[in-house]
Amino acid sequence: MEQTVTHKTKWWSGGKSPFNIEYGKIMMWYFLLSDSFTFGAFLISLGTVRFGLNYWPEPSIVFSTFPFAGHANLPLAFVSVMTFVLIISSVTMVLAVHAGHNRDKKGVEKYLILTIIGGLIFLSCQAWEWHHLLTEGHPALVGDHIELLTQGNGSNPWGELVLPQEVTPALLKSSPETLAKLVQDEHASHLSFAQLLQTPKEQLVQMLSNSEMVVRKAGPTAFGGFFYGITGFHGFHVTVGVILLIIMLIQTKMGVFERRGHYLMIEKIGLYWHFVDLVWVFVFLAFYLI
Amino acid sequence: MSDTLHIQHEVASHGHSGEPHVHHHKETFISKYIFSMDHKMIAKQFLVTGIIWAIIGGLFSVLFRLQLGFPDQNFPILETIFGRWAEGGKIKPEFYYALTTMHGTVLIFFVLTAGLSGTFANLLIPLQVGARDMASPFMNMLSYWFFFAGSIVMISSLFTQTGPAAGGWTVYPPLSALSQASQGSKSGMDLWIIAMTLFVASQLLGGLNYISTILNMRTKGMSMTRLPLTIWALLFTAILGVLSFPVLLSGLVLLMFDRHLGTSFYLSDIYIAGQALPNEGGSAILYQHLFWFLGHPEVYIIILPTMGLVSEILAINARKPIFGYMAMIASLMAICVLAFLVWAHHMFVTGLNPFLGSVFVLLTLLIAIPSAIKVFNWITTIWRGNLRFTPAMLFAIGFVSIFISGGLTGIWLGNSTIDIHLHDTMFVIAHFHIVMGVSAFFGMFAGIYHWYPKMFGRYMNNTLGYIHFWVTLASAYLIFWPMHYQGLAGMPRRYLDKSSWASFSQFHGLDAMISVVTIIAFSVQLMFVFNYFYSMYKGRRVRSQNPWDATTLEWTTPIHPGHGNWEGEIPEVHRWAYDYGKDGRDFIPQTEPIGENESEH
Amino acid sequence: MSHDTHTATSSEITFVHHMDDASFNRRILKTTIILSVFTLIELALGFTIYVLHKGVPSQGFLLLIKGVICILTLGKAFYIVSIFMHLGDEIRNFTMTILIPLMLFIWFIIAFLADGSSYKNLRNKYDPYFKESTTPAGHPDIPSDAHRYNTIQKGERQ
Repeated sequence: MEQTVTHKTKWWSGGKSPFNIEYGKIMMWYFLLSDSFTFGAFLISLGTVRFGLNYWPEPSIVFSTFPFAGHANLPLAFVSVMTFVLIISSVTMVLAVHAGHNRDKKGVEKYLILTIIGGLIFLSCQAWEWHHLLTEGHPALVGDHIELLTQGNGSNPWGELVLPQEVTPALLKSSPETLAKLVQDEHASHLSFAQLLQTPKEQLVQMLSNSEMVVRKAGPTAFGGFFYGITGFHGFHVTVGVILLIIMLIQTKMGVFERRGHYLMIEKIGLYWHFVDLVWVFVFLAFYLI
Repeated sequence: MSDTLHIQHEVASHGHSGEPHVHHHKETFISKYIFSMDHKMIAKQFLVTGIIWAIIGGLFSVLFRLQLGFPDQNFPILETIFGRWAEGGKIKPEFYYALTTMHGTVLIFFVLTAGLSGTFANLLIPLQVGARDMASPFMNMLSYWFFFAGSIVMISSLFTQTGPAAGGWTVYPPLSALSQASQGSKSGMDLWIIAMTLFVASQLLGGLNYISTILNMRTKGMSMTRLPLTIWALLFTAILGVLSFPVLLSGLVLLMFDRHLGTSFYLSDIYIAGQALPNEGGSAILYQHLFWFLGHPEVYIIILPTMGLVSEILAINARKPIFGYMAMIASLMAICVLAFLVWAHHMFVTGLNPFLGSVFVLLTLLIAIPSAIKVFNWITTIWRGNLRFTPAMLFAIGFVSIFISGGLTGIWLGNSTIDIHLHDTMFVIAHFHIVMGVSAFFGMFAGIYHWYPKMFGRYMNNTLGYIHFWVTLASAYLIFWPMHYQGLAGMPRRYLDKSSWASFSQFHGLDAMISVVTIIAFSVQLMFVFNYFYSMYKGRRVRSQNPWDATTLEWTTPIHPGHGNWEGEIPEVHRWAYDYGKDGRDFIPQTEPIGENESEH
Repeated sequence: MSHDTHTATSSEITFVHHMDDASFNRRILKTTIILSVFTLIELALGFTIYVLHKGVPSQGFLLLIKGVICILTLGKAFYIVSIFMHLGDEIRNFTMTILIPLMLFIWFIIAFLADGSSYKNLRNKYDPYFKESTTPAGHPDIPSDAHRYNTIQKGERQ
């Protein structure tokens, strides 16, 4: 019944899959194509707004911290860790799919677990980064005084640099709490926060002008929306991916695919997982590199 | 690495359909009529839901037309229906916006997208390509139920305290993004976004299914160039939907964030009641870009399926092969590609860069070429044909007429220089209602009259069909033709009361006439709905398997096909779908092998 | 890997990728290395931009670096899609149905960004005090009652 033909097959004449792919995989591919337009629209929107503004924060200034490294200025370091985690998890996913082709149940399980771990590490990294950006205040010139702004979705401390001669007048107009907090953050004094609050304003300003404090204007608030919106939507995809992978792992352990005779399901979820990795490549480009 | 192809002969077109599908088990009411996975039942579900929506959306237009036609009169019936939204029998301006918004949203998305391609893609794709069902019947069912859920959410927005969304069917920010901006931007707007998100999910599930079914599950011998044009049209429709709806989804997600999370995607430099908002850096134009990146393909999502239906119906009822089959496919493809490239022609007056605008003008005017090819081919198809004037045929011919009338004004609007004058006037209303609304309805009616025997095993009543056609055709022109003049005179759209402009006072009589005709047109549509449901139970029974003497595969199934469509093997296809009037024979079905002495087409 | 495992999956699927484990592993290892190297170059370039920003960099040079980063990213995308997602191993027709629609992104990106940039220029040039006039200063056909408008124009138009 079977014969081997290597060419001259009329793929389009009906009665057979013209792509020789199972329909579920076709659908997954077209779904990903469709999803790439969702992400594409997000990233292109980011580009449009960015092209529409005279100033946009430099990524290496925004993303310059590393967990447990304190105030060390390490631009791009943390995000490169995240990127490598995702690339490696993509590699383990390929290996899981390959093990599935060979109907190697143990291999599938092993590599699925590794992929899940990779996904979870990535999500934890993202959680840390979000938490850090959302909670750490930075001095920013708002109106005529200086406030501590976080990188929220309605505030942005990464505007243009304020000239040194403008900083002192602005500091004098700021609230004592802000000044005390700034002095503490800049390690410009050995006094405690409560003591700093008692210190006269002029003295605090003097301490600060001796430090290497950088003050920026408040930046475009659109930045935070795009950052949390897009990385959040990507993180949502990763979360869904991890959940799907866990389901796959359970089904593999229960021998569902072994009974079915093939591991095509792993392949389809694998496609999704690689797509998540692919999207990250572009998110990485749009937010962290250029 | 070496790739080897193992060709299996006798491969069934579907993974699980080696043996004939005969259902011996008893189907329950729920599995047969509610959560059905049979594509034919899902098609009927889409159609009936679409009809209900069309009545709601159409009724809205009748009611606000009353007010537009007779601005100084009170209609107690309006207060009966709308309560405090029309106190004293006069529609309040806020609610007028809500009505037009819902009219647009409902008819464009819920009727002419889901109701139209949902119905005919589900009904015709498996039947005409020769498949037992869709690639994934389960996803197909989900597609309907997502649509249904979206419908429920959209309907529920009509009953909120502050009313439904009221920013126009395009819901442009900042109006739609700021709930303090208007009544219609409060909870009604949230429900609109949620409903549309569910709708996008439904379209995606459906579209992926349609594409995979057409590409992957054609019966033996059914090469792509033997497919009926309906299938080609539905394929391109599905491609348009799958690639453009996600962009709308992105736009709506960002809009939702702006509404509730304090982000500034679309907001910048805004003062409300003297108060500056903190949002900075966003661009309201960005939303328009994202919206129209869907919005323009959307109008082709509406019109392409009807182009396919009409091509098929014209060929069958002219007893002639379709003229220029390959040109028809090529022009469908060209329209599909161009549909993605021209979106900013809706935005000429936003301050769009004039150079960029000129590129969009060029791309827009290019659409005239494939459209003209199609019109030319329809006319040459029926030229000197042996015409059978069934209601379906009349509607198909009416479609061509209306499509020409509406298409020509598209050339006006596609030119940015003229568009600057005509933008947001009644001229635009007239243009898109004719070319997209009415023509799509004509194509849809043609399709319903033509495939009704396949859906229910009965015919619809012909006399009612003829009345339906002639009254609808006359009303369509009577309603929308005068609007062109209003628009050229500068009469703006979206205005409830134009009586304060002396220059528009000459149009009072015209507006009143339009409103009266609208009521007539609407009541004739109700007659069609009556005909539809009446014929389901009392219509003339179909006696022959192939009542229209058509060549395509759906007429080789039993009169009442079960789930699985064909009782025996799926028939094999040997020729294209348009062998009418060939070699002295009236028609040759696709399943008939090519004879020895047959001439080539 | 034997291909009868694959034909058992579904009667539609008859296409088998023959690849022994050793060459598969070589291929994956190679791709992983390429992806890592590309990422490292990108990071180096990103860091270069950071360093350049301490001075006053030339816009052209920055653009060049960013362009190189974009090309590297597309290179990474190519490897992920063609090797990890096996799109390179599928039938050509299928590959095309994925890649051709993606070409829409070209115009999608150009038009959006061009309009974004035009929006910026318009805002920068926007003059809130500008008043349109049918008789701009220096116009030869000054009507007899022009003095009534001239005073307004001098004050408002910049």
